[in-house]
Amino acid sequence: MTIDRFERLTNLVAVMLATRRPLTLDEVTERVPGYPEALESRRRQFERDKETLRELGVPITLAVTDHLGGTGDVAYRILPGEYYLPDLELTADERTALAAAVTAVHIQEGQGREALWKLGGGGDTGTPRLAALPTVAALPRLFEAYRLRAVASFRYRNEDRRVEPWAIVFRRGHWYAIGFDQVRGAQRSFRADRVEGAVDVGPPGRFERPADFDPQTALRDQPWSFGGDAAIEALVLIDDTHAQSIVAQLGEEAVVERRADGVVVRLAVTNREAFRSFVLGFLDRAEVLSPDELRDDLVEWLRIRCAGPGSPA
Amino acid sequence: MAARPNASERLRRMLAVVPWILAHPGVTIGDLARRFGIPEREIERDLEILPMCGLPPYTPDRLIEVDLVDDRVRIRMAEYLDRPLRFTAAEGFAILAAGRALLAVPGSDAEGPLVDALAKLARVLGPVEGLTVEMGTIGQSDDTISTLQEAVAARRQLEIGYYSFGRDVETVRVVDPWAVHSAGGEWYLAAWCHQAGDERLFRVDRIRSVHSTGGTFPAPDVVPAADTFRAGADDPRVEMLLAEDDRWVVESYPVLETDVVADGRIRVVLAVSGQAWFERLALRLGPRSEIVAPDEMIGIARAAAARVLARYGVEETT
Repeated sequence: MTIDRFERLTNLVAVMLATRRPLTLDEVTERVPGYPEALESRRRQFERDKETLRELGVPITLAVTDHLGGTGDVAYRILPGEYYLPDLELTADERTALAAAVTAVHIQEGQGREALWKLGGGGDTGTPRLAALPTVAALPRLFEAYRLRAVASFRYRNEDRRVEPWAIVFRRGHWYAIGFDQVRGAQRSFRADRVEGAVDVGPPGRFERPADFDPQTALRDQPWSFGGDAAIEALVLIDDTHAQSIVAQLGEEAVVERRADGVVVRLAVTNREAFRSFVLGFLDRAEVLSPDELRDDLVEWLRIRCAGPGSPA
Repeated sequence: MAARPNASERLRRMLAVVPWILAHPGVTIGDLARRFGIPEREIERDLEILPMCGLPPYTPDRLIEVDLVDDRVRIRMAEYLDRPLRFTAAEGFAILAAGRALLAVPGSDAEGPLVDALAKLARVLGPVEGLTVEMGTIGQSDDTISTLQEAVAARRQLEIGYYSFGRDVETVRVVDPWAVHSAGGEWYLAAWCHQAGDERLFRVDRIRSVHSTGGTFPAPDVVPAADTFRAGADDPRVEMLLAEDDRWVVESYPVLETDVVADGRIRVVLAVSGQAWFERLALRLGPRSEIVAPDEMIGIARAAAARVLARYGVEETT
């Protein structure tokens, strides 16, 4: 009689969870019905099952047996301390609130629903879908590194990075990991969707987040201040049609002068491309007042666009 | 319902459902189905397999016992499954991020059960305050989102002052608000626009004023999905050749066509949703990128450049 795979997997979890010592391949497949006789196919099937359990998040510990003069066989078990989710003592209201959040905010391909199962589900809360946040492959591992205070290693813009993640932030449609880049020796932000390949999470507890670190302000909406250009101070007149929103974005401290026709703001520019892009976003509703260098740069840029048929060049 | 779940999916559910049954003996199949969002038939099917599972030597005293009487379930001999499996990294992240996101919605209860639940999750997931979700700028007032949500719920017709970024003008429109949602880090109002005679998405941060007209409207048949941008069938198209420096265009906007041409530049076709939108895009393009067609778009880009230049006292003949 063939044994249902669901049945075999359930027995496998039970046996590996209830055992007091690690079990070798032979011992596991002897205790769990449904594995083939022949060693090779038995091993292959066990490997497949083990992989399935790992994908579900079942922590399987490896040990090398050395009892009785030991042959050095690999042995497996599930450590109860690593398997069980502690009782969070959620109230019914709290469980419903989490269920509502998971329904309202779609994220990571619905993984939140599976988390919810482990907390006892929650049923249909009738909450309308309120938001969809992008799914990014690197995010769970970056978050893991953040919460374990472990160094995350990954490829980013063709460089290997080692980062102590201090925060994971979603802003303006993108997920960022912000933290200390050990390679650069400075605080950096990384767009999670630009991480190339897998994220390696190092041993836990390797750093402390600085007490004065504030994730809200760490990621500034001022691209012109991210860059390697020599710092230069620019004054820009923004017409009154856009004055209110620009002051909201930059803060009152950026305001140099309020005039009848608009507001003059001061920007510290270290990235000229980003600055030009920012100013052009206002079309003819903004004007670089000073310095001449940045004015000229903008004029030259636009002249190229004006010349030639449809294109510059 | 989708295809029947495979063994792995069934195990995943079972490792969560069995602990719940153990903690709530006598729970009904119907309640389990509602709570876990799994069809009753499938729960029953899984429960039929369970009595064949247990520990060696699989004698009756070692097998899991399932009693199903009058739709009520009791499970015994499964103490090793009395707690659910811990979260995977993805699950822990997803539930926490969903909770943090909902708390970031203006008007959410900062002292309610969600806050308490997240604090309890922090016990297993570690400090959570570094996980920050910003749902989008909300424009003129913190109340805008809740005002709009109330209007959606009460089917209250609104008159809104709206700044159209694409056309660079402010207009007043009467709308039937259908839904409020956040996507791509911005808040949107999906509504029927009486001026346009069509459904429209409005960025909430560009809504400059909201007033009730005093009227109501019938429930819409279908509320449009929470996407941010759909190319309008009537929107004019523009074809461009982008140099590597301007790859951001492909990353930032939904392109209708894209391919790499012989000189290494990227050929793209975009839908132009508004003239000002296109002008901003065109002025930001670097010197090695080119607007190919149609002539009308080439003209618009050059005129926009000339208009900005005029502010700097530079006259260009276009």
